[in-house]
Amino acid sequence: MSKPKLAIFDFACCEGCQLQIVNMEEEILNLISIVNPVQWREAMSEESDEYDIVLIEGSITRPEDEERLRRIREKAKVLVALGACAAGGGVNRLKNTLNLQEAKETVYGTAANMPHLNTSSTKAVDEVVAVDYKVYGCPIDRREFAYIVRCLALGKTPEIPGYPVCVECKLKENVCRYEYREICLGPLTRAGCGARCPSLNTWCFGCRGSIEEPNIDSAKEVVSKYGKTLKDLENRIALFGSK
Amino acid sequence: MSTKKLNQAALESWVTSMIAAQRVFAVQAKEERFTFAPLSQAQDLRLDYDVTILPPKKYFLPQREDLMEFHVKGEYRSLTEKEPFILLGVHPYDVAAIAQMDRIFSADNYDVHYMTRRRNATIIACDVQRPSPNVFAGYINTATVEDGFDVLLTKIGDSYLADARTPKGEALLAQAKNSGQPTVADFEQREQVWKSNKGLLRKQKLKCKAEELPDILENSYYDPIWEEKSKLCFSCGSCNLVCPTCYCFDVQDDLNWDMQTGTRTRAWDGCLLRDFAAVAGGHNFRRQRADRYRHRYYRKGKYIAEKLGQMACVGCGRCVGACVPNIANPVDVYNRLFMSSKNIYVPEPATLLKAFPMTDKETFYELRLDSGHELGHEPGQFIEVSLPGIGEAPISVSSSPTQEGVFQLVVRRVGNVTTALGKLQAGDKVGVRGPFGTQFPVHDVMKGKDVLFVCGGIGLVPVRSAIKYIMDNRKDYGRVTILYGMKTPADILFADELEEWRHVPGVTVLETVDCCDDTWSGNVGVITKLLPMVRLNLKNTMTVVCGPPVMYRFVLGELSQMGMPEDSIYISLERRMKCGVGKCGHCQMNDVYVCQEGPVFKHSEIKDVMEAI
Repeated sequence: MSKPKLAIFDFACCEGCQLQIVNMEEEILNLISIVNPVQWREAMSEESDEYDIVLIEGSITRPEDEERLRRIREKAKVLVALGACAAGGGVNRLKNTLNLQEAKETVYGTAANMPHLNTSSTKAVDEVVAVDYKVYGCPIDRREFAYIVRCLALGKTPEIPGYPVCVECKLKENVCRYEYREICLGPLTRAGCGARCPSLNTWCFGCRGSIEEPNIDSAKEVVSKYGKTLKDLENRIALFGSK
Repeated sequence: MSTKKLNQAALESWVTSMIAAQRVFAVQAKEERFTFAPLSQAQDLRLDYDVTILPPKKYFLPQREDLMEFHVKGEYRSLTEKEPFILLGVHPYDVAAIAQMDRIFSADNYDVHYMTRRRNATIIACDVQRPSPNVFAGYINTATVEDGFDVLLTKIGDSYLADARTPKGEALLAQAKNSGQPTVADFEQREQVWKSNKGLLRKQKLKCKAEELPDILENSYYDPIWEEKSKLCFSCGSCNLVCPTCYCFDVQDDLNWDMQTGTRTRAWDGCLLRDFAAVAGGHNFRRQRADRYRHRYYRKGKYIAEKLGQMACVGCGRCVGACVPNIANPVDVYNRLFMSSKNIYVPEPATLLKAFPMTDKETFYELRLDSGHELGHEPGQFIEVSLPGIGEAPISVSSSPTQEGVFQLVVRRVGNVTTALGKLQAGDKVGVRGPFGTQFPVHDVMKGKDVLFVCGGIGLVPVRSAIKYIMDNRKDYGRVTILYGMKTPADILFADELEEWRHVPGVTVLETVDCCDDTWSGNVGVITKLLPMVRLNLKNTMTVVCGPPVMYRFVLGELSQMGMPEDSIYISLERRMKCGVGKCGHCQMNDVYVCQEGPVFKHSEIKDVMEAI
């Protein structure tokens, strides 16, 4: 059986998720033993239009990017949204809470009206084309990424947690961030990161996006009980564009 | 089997010898909390812990464990961990939980993974020295244990009694050097620890008996409580994961990079998680939060209880603390179900154990419920006392919930019921409904603060429950100031206790009387005259005011002038509370039901209620 051809394309993002794959270092040899990279800007100079599995990194913020993404989708057998920006819009989505022109002028100043800055509202990849799988997180988790690639090579749907970060946080036996009276998004956020941030003594920023049916009403009750305002909660949720 | 007495140094050198010989997992500090973790030096051991974040089940059923390795051709190789280890510092309730898990994992289908680890473990249990605020093991019969461990440590003064109960424990204890022989007095002291722990490990008050739960749950499947409580449920499974008797797991495969070999792994799961009962194809057999929330209580209180003859709950209270929205307290839920399984208007029989006059108007009573249940009240709550043929009257409970088995009332003879009560003697029966109403916030906002009590006349009676609670948990509170005013010196209540409190470090007691003769050498005048006589740190003081209606306006005015924030003042109001359950309407002040939203109110909450003061 020939190895599936893998291509990685980046859109609006910091390219940190691609970098996580580069950072797999010697494990890259394992990776290329089961897939055949044909396009990967951060790691190789070759390019190709023929691929089976496509990883899309970044959110979609310009009309021309939507066009480019549609062309890629047509050629791809399997399309994977790679990382928080691709899977949910990510930090870029903050822009959608602001007036677009003001946001542009704040960021680019007098250059705001240059043609290549013709930005529109931020979209996740699945708001433009059909997405087969999502790799969550800012950045992605290398172990989970490796697992997902193995599943794809095997033809199995990866089992990505649908439960919140609290589960992994408890398994790690962390002291709950609410005991420190912090607003932690763990109860609302999809697990899979191994509760990385709470394990490093800070609250969950929600980078893996919302679980299905997050209990926002309960979160509101909880923050008021801990002497925080709804605005504090909204701001924290807005950072990674969760529901 | 032998028992040795070990001082701190002997214990540490014994533990050091264990660490040299095999793996030791023991209780250690983690930030402000505790966990079982690999012990590298004896000094890190913290047998004075309250409760660990996760129970020690993780050493028998690890959070993740590889069950087998496989080859895609269909070859399987079982993986079991065989290295022996010592589990050091296990509290009795966790010993009981492990014993229950042993039954589950050994019966029917023998679980070789769990049981191999279990057989390789030596368990050194340790009696509780510092109860967690959420514990209720005393109600589940797991505050102390008779078996299920190899050695039991009990702290006696500065030393430990180490009691070997199995050959494995005996062999381990033989390694302890410089030990002493326990005396008869030491064994007696240990009996005392066991006896007192059975009472102390009752911080959450369960009103019914654990054995009654299957029957209570039998009729509670459609109770509104499931919907109500689960509204705030995050479906995060924290209550499952920290539970020492929860053992559900998920199983997943992963391949190695060779895409030929791999491992099948199991990891903890929880029935509160949204997709726990979902099947391929998308159908979820426990779709609603309430379905999942209810399932946990039924599994613990009924399904497993009926199967094993014991609840799948050992009263450790971990779920109480782990639930961020605070809805996972089994005691809350079981108490509610227990109460709603009864007719709210039918009193429970109680017997007067003591009855004696305190003044010419007031009588002191000590009672016990005939059912053997705890009253389960909090400081500031009241009950309806019933005399068949005469009627019912709302009476404040005067004893602290820290007093187990009995409760106390002080009643002034003013109406039909209270006058008839005055004629009763020890041994006589009364009816009791309740407890009802709100409480003085001793568990939360008062903690760590100075507390000022301003009481007039029989206002001391309900306040005494809070004072006694604070005296029993003295280190949790700052300075305590008690100001007590009465008409004449002959009206004084609890004179002996006032005298006792006066001598407790950090406690000030001042009395005043309205009028007196020459035999009274103390303060004379209204109670507000006492306020300037005490030094108060206004920013750090919580105040409780309770007395006759006329007193409130003056005391609250004076406190306000002194700059006391209205948020820091709690007052207890008297109204005609006929039913006690928020129905009859007699106690309403404007739109506020005093029997439900009171009798204890934060001043800031009712200052705009016109009929309040």
